[in-house]
Order: sequence, then C-alpha cells, then structure tokens
Amino acid sequence: MQLQRERERERAMKFGKRLKRQIDESLPEWRDKFLCYKDLKKLVKLISAPQPSSKAEAEFICLLNSEIDKFNDFFVDQEEEFIIRQMELQERIKRVAATSAAAEYGRIGTEMVNLHGEMVLLVNYSSINYTGLAKILKKYDKRTGGLLRLPVIEKVLEQPFFTTDLISKLVKECESTMDSMFPAAAPAAQEEAVMMVEQRVFRNAVAALVTMRELRRGSSTYGHFSLPPLTMPDADLLHSLQLPSPIPIL
Amino acid sequence: MVNGLRTMYAWKEIEAHSALPVGKVNVEQLCSSGGSGVVSSSLPVLPTTVEEFPKLPDSQNILTGKQIRSDQLTPHYTPFVADSGNVQPLYPSPSGFSLDLDISSILPHERHTNSTSLVSQSLNEVCLPSAYSSYTGAFQASTSNIPKDPTEVTWCPDSDQGILNCSDDGITGNNQIQSNSIVMSDDLNKQNEWWSEIMNEDWEELLNDKTVAESQPKVVYPAAQSSQTMSVHQSQTHQSVPCHSGEITAVTSSLSTATTAANKPRMRWTPELHECFVNAVNQLGGSDKATPKGVLKLMKMEGLTIYHVKSHLQKYRTARYRPDLSEGMSEKKITQSQEIPSLNLKTGIDLTEALRLQMEVQKQLHEQLEIQRNLQLRIEEQGKYLQMMFEKQCKTTMDKLHAPSTVEEPSNVSTDLTQSTAKIEFPDAGSNPIDSNKTEITQQIGNKRKMPEVEPSNHQDVDAVTDSPSSAAKCARVDDEEA
Repeated sequence: MQLQRERERERAMKFGKRLKRQIDESLPEWRDKFLCYKDLKKLVKLISAPQPSSKAEAEFICLLNSEIDKFNDFFVDQEEEFIIRQMELQERIKRVAATSAAAEYGRIGTEMVNLHGEMVLLVNYSSINYTGLAKILKKYDKRTGGLLRLPVIEKVLEQPFFTTDLISKLVKECESTMDSMFPAAAPAAQEEAVMMVEQRVFRNAVAALVTMRELRRGSSTYGHFSLPPLTMPDADLLHSLQLPSPIPIL
Repeated sequence: MVNGLRTMYAWKEIEAHSALPVGKVNVEQLCSSGGSGVVSSSLPVLPTTVEEFPKLPDSQNILTGKQIRSDQLTPHYTPFVADSGNVQPLYPSPSGFSLDLDISSILPHERHTNSTSLVSQSLNEVCLPSAYSSYTGAFQASTSNIPKDPTEVTWCPDSDQGILNCSDDGITGNNQIQSNSIVMSDDLNKQNEWWSEIMNEDWEELLNDKTVAESQPKVVYPAAQSSQTMSVHQSQTHQSVPCHSGEITAVTSSLSTATTAANKPRMRWTPELHECFVNAVNQLGGSDKATPKGVLKLMKMEGLTIYHVKSHLQKYRTARYRPDLSEGMSEKKITQSQEIPSLNLKTGIDLTEALRLQMEVQKQLHEQLEIQRNLQLRIEEQGKYLQMMFEKQCKTTMDKLHAPSTVEEPSNVSTDLTQSTAKIEFPDAGSNPIDSNKTEITQQIGNKRKMPEVEPSNHQDVDAVTDSPSSAAKCARVDDEEA
C-alpha cells in the first residue's frame, strides 16, 4: 500500500511536471490561466480525513471554484477573439481572391494557420485543465473518502471552458479554407519541419501533442476514468519535431 | 414536497414554454455560495434542502426544443435538455454549484436524489422566459447559457413585472435592459406566482436562515466584489427573507448594481451574433465610425448590453487594423516569423509547404483532442451509469435484508455490498470470474489495471458470497449488455 502511494505520488508529480512544461511552452499571456494544480494538491494534503468540513476543505473548494471561473472567463474571451479573427480572415480572403495578390495570399495563409493553431491550443487548454481537475478531485476523494468528484465533474462537463464544440467547428472551417486556398501538393520532408517549430504557435502545438502522449502512456493508477494510451498516425513526425528543451521566450 | 412535485409536473404540462427566471435567479443566489465561510456555517443548517437548489435553476437555462432546433444555436448547448437532473447553467456560479455538491456529498442525501431529479426533470422542460422566445439568432443561445453575465439574470426578472417589485436602480445598464425586455404575459405571471408558491413551501425554512441570506452576496459576485454591492444585497435580502419573490427583488437589484460595478458583464459570442454585429458596424460606416450605442441599437438583440458591444468593438478594431498584434503574439516575434518563410525558401521548401506542415501537426493535435474528449465524456457517462447500478443494487439488497433476518446477515451483507461495489465499480479486477463479463465495458474505456482500492481479500470472499452480490453482479451484467 505504501509503495502504491509512493508510485501514485510519482505519477501525480509527473502530471504536475507535465503541466508545468505545457505552461512553459504556452503563449505568454496564457501561462497564468492554467490550473493551479500544485496549489490544489497542497490544499488536499492539508485536509484531514476524519473531519470532512474543515477549513482546508472549504479552501479547496473555494480555490476549485475560482479556478473554474478563471477557465471560463479566459476561454470565452479567447473564443470571442477567435470568432472575430476567423471572420476577418475570411473577409480578407474574399477580397484577395478578386485581386489575386500572391504575397497577400501567403500572409493570409500564415495568419490562418496560426489562428488554427491557437484555436487548437485553446481546445488543448481546455483538455489539460479538465484532466487536472479530474486528477485533483480523485485525490481529494481518496483523501477524504468523499464523493466530490462525480458531481463536480458533471458540472465541469457543462462549463463553457469544456464545451469546445464551437471552437472545434471553427478549427474545421479553418482547415477546409486552407485546403481550398492551398490545394494539395507533395508532402513536405520532415527535416524542413524542424525549422517550422521555431514558430511559437507551432511549437506549442507540438509540445501539446507530446504532453498528451506522455500523459496517456501508462499509469500505475489506472481506474475507470483513465484514458488509454495515445494512438497517433504519424508518431515519427512528432518525434522529429521534438526540441530538446524549450528556449524561454521573453 | 410531494405535493409540490405533483404541482410542478402539472404545471410543466400546461405551460412548458413558460419562463422561470424568478426561480432561477433566486435559487442561484441561494445555492451558489462561493465563500469558504458558508460551508462551515451553513452545513449544519441545510443538510437536506441545499442539494435541491442546484438542480432547480439549472433547467431554467435549458433551451426549449424549438430553440435547439434552430440552426443558429451552438450545438453544445443541447445536452442541457438531453440530460435530466444535474444540468447546470453555464455561468452563474460554477463555484456555487461545486460548493453545494460538497455539502451534499458530505452529508447523507440519498433520499433527496430521487426527488430532486424528478424536480429537475420537470424543470428541464421549462423553457426560458418568454422574453427569450422573441429573440432571434444565436444571441438567445449565448446569453441564455451564459448566466455569469449579471445582466442576463437582471433582465429576466425585470420582465416579471407582475411579481417582482423591481426597484429603481437608476443604472443605465439596467434601464437599457428594462426598456428592451419584453412585457410578460398574464399567463406567465400566473406561472411565476404558482412557481413561487411551490418554492415557498420548500424554501421558507431556508429563507429564514440568516446564514444563507448572508451568503448570497458572495453568490452573486463570485469574482470581484465591492463592499457597496454586498451591503445593498444584504439589506435587501433581509427585507425579503420571508417571501420568495422578494428574494428575487433583492437579487435583481444587487445584480444590476453589480453590472455597473467592477464586473464586466460576460456573455458568449457566436459567429452568427458576430455577423450581426459586423453588419451593424458596416451600416454605421465602419469600425472607426461606429459607436457602441449605435451598434447596440441596430443589432436589436434583447439582453445585449452596451458593455458587451463595447468590448467586442474594441476587439474587432484591434483585429482589423493591427492584424499582427491581434494574432495572439505569435506574430509579435517579428524576427522569427519573418525569418521562417525566408529560411524555408533558402532550404527549398516554400511557404505553402511550411504552412501545410504546421497545419498537419495542429490538425493531428486537434483530432487527438477530440477523441480524448469523447472518451472522457463516455467514461464519465459510464461511471455515472455504474454508480446508478450500484445504488440500485444497494437498494435491492437492503430490501432483501428486511425480509428474512438472521443475526449474521447484517455483517455479511455489508461485506457483500462492499464486494458488490468492488465488482460493479471496478470491473477490471480480472481475477474475479463474475467480472469477466464486464471486461467488454472496460475494453471500451481502455485498458485497465488492478484498482488500488480493491483489496485482494475481497476476491477470495467472492466464492463464499451470499445471494445478493451474485445477483447484483448478474443484474449489472445483464443491464450492461442491454445498455
């Protein structure tokens, strides 16, 4: 039992570490919008099992609530921006299509791809925070023997930050627009891809994929609510895109 | 309580499309208690009634069938109707709901689950206020599902002229909303009266509780709170303690105060709504010439406030005239982004290919995220289902207990129940022969390992088990197959 607990702690730290890495890779203005996993963990540790309604518990729930509020605010705000930007790009494409200015096409394409990337990162943001919440709630329940997890997660599933359908729809629209703007050509070599990774958005996406894969690789605490390992079609591409360590962006 | 339920069902049948802004607002204020202080003080007082609250207002925000069918609604709102029971409004206070859940999870509340789910089921059918039905487009959906915006809550009750004594706030925002709100029909007034009567029965006890009243200010403004706001809220709340509709008055007024206070009203924009916005802006001569007031007037969206328009206009201007800045800093690294295309050209890969590559990785990430999300949803559903099964089995076992009784039985049953739990909730204990049929479920979810919580000794006891767990397992198995 003791060993199991230690391994669980290891796993927990790993999520914490991975979360931190993801945050470091994020766009700067996103960094403080992620889940304060460490803080929540500290609060859980402070909770004493026999006394369910202690101050520490109340603090935990309070922090949880404010975190969820934080996610919702940020998510909805970003969503709004993305809607605006997406529509703007569509408009510009229409205007440019008439004039066929090649350079402009390139610029619009770059912006569109970056917008696409940011939207995907927002979905990733949502997913990471959800995972963190689920994990911390699991810890909480384990610690207190309570049943906080299930009802809270149910609520979380309906929160704005988790309802990413609109963003996903916009993402797909982006993809189809890109396809129509840049019709299919020969597949690019993988070495060139490495240079692409300098772009922040792109790099963040790569990091997100890597993190996701690692998070799901295997867990010592598999349960009902654990996800299976990630199955990606193009694992080699991802491997070649991984940078050794992120260069801090100031 | 039972009478209340019956009345509510009947009411639901009659006026399924009526609105319950009243109830929603009230309950929200009562339920959502973000402060830590509330937990300790209210726990002893509200063991049984608190749990009902989160469920009651939820449905108020649920879209009606016809609204859901509208194309302009963002799809993810539909689950609100599909689910019964624990549907929550998106915004008003996730904090509050979580907190309520904590209270209810700590205290025994089993018997309330059923009644409240019934309540929420009936409420699920309840539509948005009639004010909503006149709305066009996605804005309805947006605001109805984003109650964090105090204005949204504000104008709901505002339209309930018959019931609420909407106090004069003299606040521009509120006035604007009031002028835009639709006058309620007589029917709707009746509905709300009926509703508040029903609510009164259940909530008198609660309303008379000071603790709850004090907690309300926190509820309303989970974010930044001005003391001024809180005092307004509190004083009014105390006045209205005995009366349900009075509560709402207090809440309404305080909310409208909040609108002009620190909090920026929050709502969720959609592409359709944005299109409407853009049209209005263009009519006014472009984003530079257009003013928030003008745009607001042109858009004619109920519940949309000047604050929403203002902030949106600002974002819009940024996006149009400084596309590099609005690109979320990815373009701010000018040197890098400028280098990339040229770098790529030097090494023989053109911009198109570079873009395509980036797109590919991002696309993959998105696909994986979608898959992951679906999995997570299914896992939660499954968990809920299994939990339900377990509770059903518990009940069945308890019923069986009450029949023939021997001295040994209670202790046996309790262990059996634990084992049932082990089996039903952790079907991945592969060594258990009874569970082998459950592996189909587990395979759906993903590969599993041994659950740490399940003690190995439980498995040994399985063979010596009495009827109940086996039948429980069998029952669960059968049901799973049917599921």
